[in-house]
Amino acid sequence: MRRRLTHIAHMTLLAAALAVAAPALAQVRAPDGAPDPTASSVNEDLLFRQAPKIGGRISIPNQTAANLIQPQGREWRSFHESWMPWIGALAVLGMLGALGVFYFTRGRIRLEHSEESGRKILRFNAFERFAHWMTATCFIVLALTGLNYIFGKRLLMPLIGPDAFAALAQWGKYAHVYLAWPFMLGVLFMLVLWIKDNIPGKIDWIWLKQGGGFLGDAHPSAARFNAGQKMVFWMVVGFGLLMSATGLMMLFPFAATDINGMQVMQVVHSLIGVVFIAGILAHIYIGTLGMEGAYDAMGSGEVDLAWARAHHDLWVEKEQAKTASGPQLGRGQVPAE
Amino acid sequence: MRAFVVAVAMAVVLAVAASFVLGESQRFAYQAFATSGARVSNPGTNLVGPRWTGDIKEPGAGHKADAPGS
Repeated sequence: MRRRLTHIAHMTLLAAALAVAAPALAQVRAPDGAPDPTASSVNEDLLFRQAPKIGGRISIPNQTAANLIQPQGREWRSFHESWMPWIGALAVLGMLGALGVFYFTRGRIRLEHSEESGRKILRFNAFERFAHWMTATCFIVLALTGLNYIFGKRLLMPLIGPDAFAALAQWGKYAHVYLAWPFMLGVLFMLVLWIKDNIPGKIDWIWLKQGGGFLGDAHPSAARFNAGQKMVFWMVVGFGLLMSATGLMMLFPFAATDINGMQVMQVVHSLIGVVFIAGILAHIYIGTLGMEGAYDAMGSGEVDLAWARAHHDLWVEKEQAKTASGPQLGRGQVPAE
Repeated sequence: MRAFVVAVAMAVVLAVAASFVLGESQRFAYQAFATSGARVSNPGTNLVGPRWTGDIKEPGAGHKADAPGS
């Protein structure tokens, strides 16, 4: 019995000693050696490790306002503010530089005269030119106002001041949001108008292997559109649809995705956007400065027959065969006896 | 040239039409965020005004907040 009491006394003493010593052992000290009583409290890093985002409870109908902090937003902001301007500058200035080098080394692709020079052939009818120019003018405004999102505050605001920049950016935002609609319609028009002439074929591979006539003086055969034009077509359709889808996700916030999804959409939209702009710069170059006679196709709609024969020989043969067989009969019409 | 002019005109017309259609789906903050349990100020009595322009006269001019110090 006495031995049992002694054991209990020892255990009690040990427990008391531990109770006194434990706080001292657990005490975390600051770098300067002073006790830091808040070291083990919940901090931001710990919170973010527990949940992907931190929200609260609110009584207003807009439940998305309950989201207080979303750490992925910091990654998006970091991309938008540090990576995106460099990627955008590299894409746009890189393409301008490449086109400059091409122009000064290869020079302008000149119109080759032949006995067919001076005769005209209709390349694009009025509705095709309308669809092209509606899409093109909208694209230019969308591109400039889109680039303003990335570069405006960095390049424009120091030049014109914050007040003028704020007004410009606001009107730019209106233009971007509203001109997106005729742009989307124009992409659909062009898809329907030209898809039949833009199906890739064996002839496109031959055209590409011969450098498309850009690297030498030869003119590889091509139908209505050559492989380069087909690439532009599919770029416009593909990027146009992707830009439309991602843009609509941002235009109607939370309709299809959450804040994280919209940030992903913005990243996709901006990355495709700068590549799209670079691609269209090349298209503008070759359609104007780069190739003599090319602009007429979308300007007046008629091109020089010698130019058409050189660059789209198969298409010219097909068009002339149609004309040679006489005017096409409409539905219900019968040839005269 | 005529195709270009018509295209630009059509783009502007469609953009203006889009602005009206999209505007229909927008609501003012005091409409969107108010419930029977939470009121986000009456139009004209907040600091920014119903259109967030700083103009607090329209459309609730009668509810305009008193000027500071009055």
